[in-house]
Amino acid sequence: MDIPRGTWIPGDGTEFDNSGRFVFWIETAETCFREHDAKLDFHPRCLVDSDRLVEFLSIGLSFSKALVSDLYPETALFHATLPSDDRQPLPSLEMAQLNGEFLPDEADWRSWKIFGISVDKPLLFLRKLQLAADFGNPKIQLGSDLRFWIQYSLQLRNLAKRHQFLPVMKCFQTGGRDPELNIFAGWSPASGIYEEGLQEFADAMPGICSAVDWANPAKMSTEQTWHFDPVELLRQFSEQQVEQLISDVVFTQKTRKQFEGSWLAGAMGLVEPHRANDPADQGLSTAEQWTQWQSWQEEILGQSHESGFVLGMRLHEGDEGQDDDWRLSFFVTSAQDPSLKIDLAEWWSLSEGKRELWLKHFGRRFERNLLVNLGHAARICPLLWQGMESATPTGLSTDMQTAYEFLKNDAIVLESAGFRIVLPSWWTPKGRRRARMRVLASGQSAAPGVASANSATFDLPSLVQYRYELSVDGKPVGEEEWQNLVSAKSPLVRFRGEWMEIDRQHMDRMLEMWRRQEQEDDVSSVGELLKQVGEADDDSTEFVFDEVLDGVLKGLQQIEGMESLDDPPGLIGQLRPYQQKGLSWMVTQEALGLNPCLADDMGLGKTIQVIALLLHERAQLDSESNSELSPTLLIAPTSVLSNWVKEVEKFAPQLKCMVHHGSHRTVDPREFGKSTTANDIVITSFTIARKDSGLLKNGKWRRIVVDEAQNIKNPKSAQARAIRSLSARHRIAMTGTPIENRLMDIWSLFSFLNPGLLGTSAQFSRAYEKPIQQSGNQQRLRQLQRLVQPFILRRLKTDKSIISDLPEKLEQKVYCNLTKEQASLYQAVVNDVQDQIESLDGMQRRGLMLATLMKLKQICNHPAQFLQDGSAFSESRSHKLTRVNGMIEEALCESDSLLLFTQFTEVGSQLENLLREKHRCPVHYLHGGTSRKRREQMIESFQAPDSPAGIFVLSLKAGGVGITLTRANHVFHFDRWWNPAVENQATDRAYRIGQQKTVFAHKMVTVGTLEERIDEMIEEKQALAANIIGTDEKWITEMDNASFRELIQLNRSAIMES
Amino acid sequence: MARMTRTWWGKKFLDVLSHIMDSGRLKRGRAYSTPRRLLEFDVSGYTVNAKIRGNVNPHFGVYREPKYKVVVKLKRISVKDWDRITGEIGNNAACLSQLLMNEMPTAIEGVFSELDLHLLPQSRADIISSCSCPDYASPCKHVAGVYYKIASLLDRDPLLAFQLRGMKFESLQRKLSASPLGQALSDHFGSGEPAIEYPSHRYTSPQRRSLPNGSPKSFWQGSGTLPPVEVEDGDQTAPAILIKRGGDFPAFWNKDVSFIEAMEPVYVRIVEKNKASL
Repeated sequence: MDIPRGTWIPGDGTEFDNSGRFVFWIETAETCFREHDAKLDFHPRCLVDSDRLVEFLSIGLSFSKALVSDLYPETALFHATLPSDDRQPLPSLEMAQLNGEFLPDEADWRSWKIFGISVDKPLLFLRKLQLAADFGNPKIQLGSDLRFWIQYSLQLRNLAKRHQFLPVMKCFQTGGRDPELNIFAGWSPASGIYEEGLQEFADAMPGICSAVDWANPAKMSTEQTWHFDPVELLRQFSEQQVEQLISDVVFTQKTRKQFEGSWLAGAMGLVEPHRANDPADQGLSTAEQWTQWQSWQEEILGQSHESGFVLGMRLHEGDEGQDDDWRLSFFVTSAQDPSLKIDLAEWWSLSEGKRELWLKHFGRRFERNLLVNLGHAARICPLLWQGMESATPTGLSTDMQTAYEFLKNDAIVLESAGFRIVLPSWWTPKGRRRARMRVLASGQSAAPGVASANSATFDLPSLVQYRYELSVDGKPVGEEEWQNLVSAKSPLVRFRGEWMEIDRQHMDRMLEMWRRQEQEDDVSSVGELLKQVGEADDDSTEFVFDEVLDGVLKGLQQIEGMESLDDPPGLIGQLRPYQQKGLSWMVTQEALGLNPCLADDMGLGKTIQVIALLLHERAQLDSESNSELSPTLLIAPTSVLSNWVKEVEKFAPQLKCMVHHGSHRTVDPREFGKSTTANDIVITSFTIARKDSGLLKNGKWRRIVVDEAQNIKNPKSAQARAIRSLSARHRIAMTGTPIENRLMDIWSLFSFLNPGLLGTSAQFSRAYEKPIQQSGNQQRLRQLQRLVQPFILRRLKTDKSIISDLPEKLEQKVYCNLTKEQASLYQAVVNDVQDQIESLDGMQRRGLMLATLMKLKQICNHPAQFLQDGSAFSESRSHKLTRVNGMIEEALCESDSLLLFTQFTEVGSQLENLLREKHRCPVHYLHGGTSRKRREQMIESFQAPDSPAGIFVLSLKAGGVGITLTRANHVFHFDRWWNPAVENQATDRAYRIGQQKTVFAHKMVTVGTLEERIDEMIEEKQALAANIIGTDEKWITEMDNASFRELIQLNRSAIMES
Repeated sequence: MARMTRTWWGKKFLDVLSHIMDSGRLKRGRAYSTPRRLLEFDVSGYTVNAKIRGNVNPHFGVYREPKYKVVVKLKRISVKDWDRITGEIGNNAACLSQLLMNEMPTAIEGVFSELDLHLLPQSRADIISSCSCPDYASPCKHVAGVYYKIASLLDRDPLLAFQLRGMKFESLQRKLSASPLGQALSDHFGSGEPAIEYPSHRYTSPQRRSLPNGSPKSFWQGSGTLPPVEVEDGDQTAPAILIKRGGDFPAFWNKDVSFIEAMEPVYVRIVEKNKASL
């Protein structure tokens, strides 16, 4: 578990050139420094091998070879002042959280030597680092220092992209016998936004960013614990980065010529930036030149600080016919409160007293600043001089052509130079009247007679027919009228009462397109339509849907407005309102011939929604055709197969369900065909789906449901290919892990669901993956989201509409199976006991019974726990562990924290280690041996709102009562206690005052074992509860031998080989 | 050779010389505006006094390196006319604004010509000069040198033209005070020039300060939340936007082409060539 870290270190300051470097290092959990010697003051837990650091860039972060060499990594050795104990530096906060350690409130501060690499082009480095963290391997956790620099570099990059930097003249004195003034030409970021950002970021800067230095503070001064001034550190970083941007740019011949002889040639790297004054230059001394530059810079930047107002211009449109009654008026608004606004025309007529009131908002020297502002605006847009030929300037009148020029060019420039511009609404992006192609899409039912018991809503179109219209502002325009517009002489035309801009080329193109399309009779599927809508360019195309399509598409995109279906007949239990919506959403998708992805948060009940869909579809058919309905093939990870069986049994017992898994499965095609048609659902695992792909391919499926669809994220895997090749009328994907950020996963998912929507994988990579992943193209990202959004239903527990449907506490059983290994151990114990129990009585019999229960529960947890032989505590040996891990991952993806209860101390510590290794999040373990102090530290750290989401493992005895862990909203009961009251008490660690979210309690039950049977007994006796069952397991020992045997007996059908 | 002037008013101020001097003399005159030749130069009141290092010239009987005394004046405009002109300026925000930004107002000649006057010299009659050299021609090359020097000063101080034309600064200030915007310009004339700073380093040199007291936790974590930053595409930016406020010809820019125009492609190219980093 490594944490990448890094920061900026300024140059040592003895030379004029004090350039710094960005350093990168890796904090490790274990000691790396083999020759660690306390006297050398080396940080013992940093990666000391520069090859491995570079390797981290190329492999860990997948940086290309070219990129790595561009960064020019070099070995670097530096010092950091870190909180330490008397022997070594303390771990960082992130590392401590991962290790379940706690930082003391106070510490010694000591300097440590750190080994790392320095990189060139920090902006490039930080940008790629961020892309790698956002879109790449999600397991990389960056240190707080790197996260800080990434965020600041975003700010700096925005400034650079907005040209917020200036050439600067640095005037310095050379030493020696004959001191001389010299000029050093360079660049610096500038502007109010830059200055404000510096302060904000300096306030947020973690100490680790500024406590790193080339020099050893111990040798520098008596003051041993210093750091760099944060604002100045940011300044140096920013100044040097901006100069670095310029340093590699080769300018055109023309530019070179234009700057020849000017001091700016130095700033642009055309000549040495450093030069002594050349007296031939206009006969000006260095000091004079510097003064000129300085006044210029102050003029540009200075007034933006002190003036409390913003100058604005408003364009008033003219009437048609009269050409010169357009008007630009000047106004000023308060910089703090833009609603305080006054036209200059009004200003000049105010009394002295009234002006005084306004001046409180507009700041000192209002008139002077107004003059400067007007002058600056007029420099940018010389038209404005015309409005200033008066002692009381108010604005100017102009003609349409000039006004158009202003709208088209000057307005944007003035606005980005900080002036406020108010334009007529028909020019703003929102109010702009657009000449567009209107695509009128209407739905057609292919089979109008499809029975619908529910309502007309589900009488859905299967085909879409298109008509095309030319339109302005959403209103149809005839061909002749259109051509009149195109042939108008002026760029602005008054059309149907309002002005609009005419883009002749664009309109010509559309006319042509319209003529072409009119010839064709266009019909497509709803899926095609969604693809077209997703890819359409808003500026040229507008879609209009008929009532039916409109209702349908709105429902797909905004499920809240969708009409709910009633619970289907035969469903045991009740759908929550949002689940009913989910059902009607899936029904609609299928009726439209689309294939949806159900991606609700864990705990919201995806399974029951899919089961309801199956029931619904049966209810829609009369009894005759019902029997002809082919079965649904459900593919899921092995560890959840029996959960599916259990859920179907529970919610829809009339659905016939068959598991196709294990070495005894039917592989004979004919027999397989026979048994599948006799069932409603055929459940199989991903592994078998691959192994038996031939068999499954020949099956007739109504629908294929892929649960935990992230399993087919690798599109090239045999598994994904096998599943894609299966044919069925409908397809559904289910997943609880958010997929938005993993682009190729999205493609893979859709290549299963709706192939073609996202093109081939090469097309997808070109159009979306590369632009988004490599250059962060936001527009492409939005387009992709728009394309896939109608097909994905993802609701979060925290959605307002969901919260109201959820109780405060929700309990569910999570069923899993034994692995083959677990089953044989279990059977051996059972066999052993069956012989013994007959020959014992009294205390011995009781003892044996309790010991047996213990052993069997251990086996259900994990073979290693039972064997106690130090064998691997691996997922593959226990389905329960696999399942818990999968669910934990989903919870952590949502930044939910969770509790995990077990009654076995030995499994608790195994879980602690495994979870930490696997999920790289803070993991705490509280058991009977935990000291009081440590226990308090753990609780405090877990509960702290600023700590990352984590896992709290608790032994039932030590953690079941008394403490508050409301940060968690998932509670897992890894093994079962025989008393629901005890379990509920444990759950209530999270479910108590202070809890803001719904608490989900997941109780793990191994099917076919005593766990399942005891669970059933508890359910039956729930009403009798505590007083009969008692708080421990003694009541079980009251059973007679036959009942006990029945209790522990293994049901072999419940074994799942992986 | 660097150009003598780069502003439109400086150029116009020099234009008159080409009408009243032969080109050879004019060309030689330029050389007399350099510090090597111009030994003394002083503007006092409406008059410019200068001392120029001349050449040995046996033809005129000059055998030792001479020093010539040059006096240059412009034809004065009457006090009454000045009153009206400054009144006009005070009533014109465009003029005030440009003067405030140290530029000659673009509309200035219009203001003068309404009174049948002109600010910048147009004919021989506008220039009154004398030189102690033996050259018969007037103005001589030494006068031209001083005149060039005046032109280059005008670039940075357009009000010098007003002064030489006989305007009293106090009267200008009085007249300006009549309007609020005029008052603003008048106040501005009082403020001085910035003091020069000598940085000791190329970039800001971060000071080492003692580490603030804090817990190890806050050392690693900082204040907790980072300021939010939106990712911008940057396509909307008008090029070189920051320097546009500084005008086409900042004082340090001694080229024919507008500074903004020259800088626009520079900014665009810098951002474009750094696409990977930005």
